[in-house]
Amino acid sequence: MRSVTGMQGKFALLPMICGIALAGCIQVSAPDKPIEINLNINIRQEVMVKLEKDVETLITDNPELFPQ
Amino acid sequence: MDRNKTLLTKSLLAGALSLSLAGGAIMASAQGVSAIETAKSQGVIGETWEGYIDFAKTPSDAVRDEVEALNIKRRAAYTQLASQRGATVQEVALKTACQIFAAKIQVGQAYLLPDKIWRVREGASPIARPDYCN
Repeated sequence: MRSVTGMQGKFALLPMICGIALAGCIQVSAPDKPIEINLNINIRQEVMVKLEKDVETLITDNPELFPQ
Repeated sequence: MDRNKTLLTKSLLAGALSLSLAGGAIMASAQGVSAIETAKSQGVIGETWEGYIDFAKTPSDAVRDEVEALNIKRRAAYTQLASQRGATVQEVALKTACQIFAAKIQVGQAYLLPDKIWRVREGASPIARPDYCN
């Protein structure tokens, strides 16, 4: 009787031990930086297209900077 | 490339000076444009793929000063546009060079492509643009 209780006690402890062991192995925590989805390529492309017009304006508006 | 670096260093130093002497700089630039135009037409100085003017041949001290002053002003304009558009100064400078190469280099003027060989525009046919332009 005593020994059975002892066995039960051991089995009762097992999930707890597993739990502690698992907690040590797998850590799920929120990342401290926001998740970043990279759309930079499109944005750069847009910047460069706009820049082309800006640069034309720059040259025509500042003839002293771009002498013949 | 070394010459470019030297030019840039000198330009930046001269920039600090010209800012403190704005009045003088304006007077110098009024005279300078024609000196620069003359030197350009003689192929002494020319446009580069980097968006600045550089020396194809050894210039006079006066022309050298004018070119350096002009390059500082260009850099300031590029910097301003870059900050407005979220681009880098170099991106603006290179884009400008594309435009200059497409439209502004006259027959007889020297120009420098990324291969760092000075060429002179020979005839009416358009010159090669730097390959990053397209």
